[in-house]
Amino acid sequence: MAILNITYQGQSADYELEIDYQASDADVRRIAVEVVRSGGVRGLHIAGLRTDAFDGFVVDRLRGARGEQRIYLRPKVPFGAGEGAARPGAGGAGAR
Amino acid sequence: MRVVVCGVGALGSTTVALCRSLGVELRLVDFDRVESKNLAAQWFVKPSVGKNKAEAARLQLANFWGTRAEAAPVRLVANNAAQLLDGCDLAVDCFDNADSRNVLSEAARARQLPLVHAALAADGTFGLVRWDERFVADREDVAGQATCEGGEHLPMIGLISAALARAIQDFVKDGARHDYMVSLSGVARTG
Repeated sequence: MAILNITYQGQSADYELEIDYQASDADVRRIAVEVVRSGGVRGLHIAGLRTDAFDGFVVDRLRGARGEQRIYLRPKVPFGAGEGAARPGAGGAGAR
Repeated sequence: MRVVVCGVGALGSTTVALCRSLGVELRLVDFDRVESKNLAAQWFVKPSVGKNKAEAARLQLANFWGTRAEAAPVRLVANNAAQLLDGCDLAVDCFDNADSRNVLSEAARARQLPLVHAALAADGTFGLVRWDERFVADREDVAGQATCEGGEHLPMIGLISAALARAIQDFVKDGARHDYMVSLSGVARTG
């Protein structure tokens, strides 16, 4: 048992999941699409959610405050980047 | 206690403003200059345009509130990281790209210096405050991905910065290391 937290379009919600904590990232993304489509995630019901909605999202596996297993599915947080120093290979440590 | 803030842009500059009453010594690191377009989403005022961001933030802290800070108007890279972190008790990552974050993480880990990161999704709907032991830097989907330069993400920048300032405050108070996840539905402590 793990708690899957899904963040999508600025909304975030928990879903109790019968899943191996070490399930693959692809499995987590696929299951997330299904549970969001089904309305099983309180506050995050999107019947027509695209199959690839969570492609590119990050899967974090962390312990909660009470030791519970939590899986976070969330957007990337690169803080934008771009413009010179942030580009791969530019070799810089830029700040914005 | 001395706190070094690396990256004094949207998240960094706003966080610095919220840390003005912490009673810590602030060191601000940023090589970049304030541009007029930055005024929409960063804690800089018109007279700061053209100044180095670290120096501009230092001046604003001093002029607005009498808060003293130290400015390091340089790019943090592997061969000056140790010097920039020297004498600090906490490092704060507000950089905008994975390469810089990784340079900072490596330097902080080498010195066993506590490090907390803050990061924002490109679409401005989500952000994280996470301590280094649980943080992996995300890379942008495509080079040159849009950033927060317009003012539309300013409320989210404020939320994330407030969560980061709270994390810093808790650490300064008793060494606690709390993580936060920030979405449009609120701020949640996740660790």
